[in-house]
Amino acid sequence: MASLITCPHCGQRPKEEFTIKGDAGLARPAPDAGADVWYDYVYLRDNPKGLHKEYWHHSSGCRRWLIVERDTVTHKVHSVSDAALAKLGGAA
Amino acid sequence: MPDLPTLRPALAGEPALDSTTIALQALPEGHLLQIMGATERAVVEAAIAAAGLEGSDVREAGYRQWYVVGDKQLSSKTLRELTSALPAGTFLSDQSHGRVRIRLSGPHATKLLSTGTAVDLHDAAFPEGRSAITLFGHLSVHLTRKSAAGFELIVLRSFAEALYEELHAHAA
Repeated sequence: MASLITCPHCGQRPKEEFTIKGDAGLARPAPDAGADVWYDYVYLRDNPKGLHKEYWHHSSGCRRWLIVERDTVTHKVHSVSDAALAKLGGAA
Repeated sequence: MPDLPTLRPALAGEPALDSTTIALQALPEGHLLQIMGATERAVVEAAIAAAGLEGSDVREAGYRQWYVVGDKQLSSKTLRELTSALPAGTFLSDQSHGRVRIRLSGPHATKLLSTGTAVDLHDAAFPEGRSAITLFGHLSVHLTRKSAAGFELIVLRSFAEALYEELHAHAA
């Protein structure tokens, strides 16, 4: 587990300040996509080895949702960006 | 109406601490306004000046969020003036009743704070006027450096006693 996260708004902070939601690469299926697809989306997760993008919430800091790209093998954090700003196309 | 609760300062009765190395004191529960919106600090400062709140301090409180704090209690008229002085899309939430300010100062203040928070408090990394929202132990606090050895902490009212007593125990 990466223990220090560099929040784009707050700077370097320990992981205790964050809440991890999980995989940031999931695409929400269409409402009528079928039970199997929805079951997959809601319950089934990959356990990737290597680079992984996750949603992290800086719950005890700026309270922004971040996208943390980290390596599950080396624990190295490759990038941290603001999720909402990334979606809007702006830099955090 | 006799059954309305009367406002009592959250830290009334908590002893202040004043020694040569460290001082701890609860600050008056004046006003604490949270301002949110796609704007800039200078715009917020201009708005509080327009509403006649020159003595208030503007502090960063996260991305596009600020706290406006001061020792005076505000009338609803002043609040309305401030709300109308803010640009469209910028919002104000009065948190005066919900958050409490604590002042911690003295040569040992930085050392005491660093036992509870991971924020780098070195003068170069956390200069005067800088604010950070962080954890002190398990409590979420808003921390501001007011002077070289003076800090202010803002904490949710219901956690104020716990934080104050913890700081007091560490400092004594």
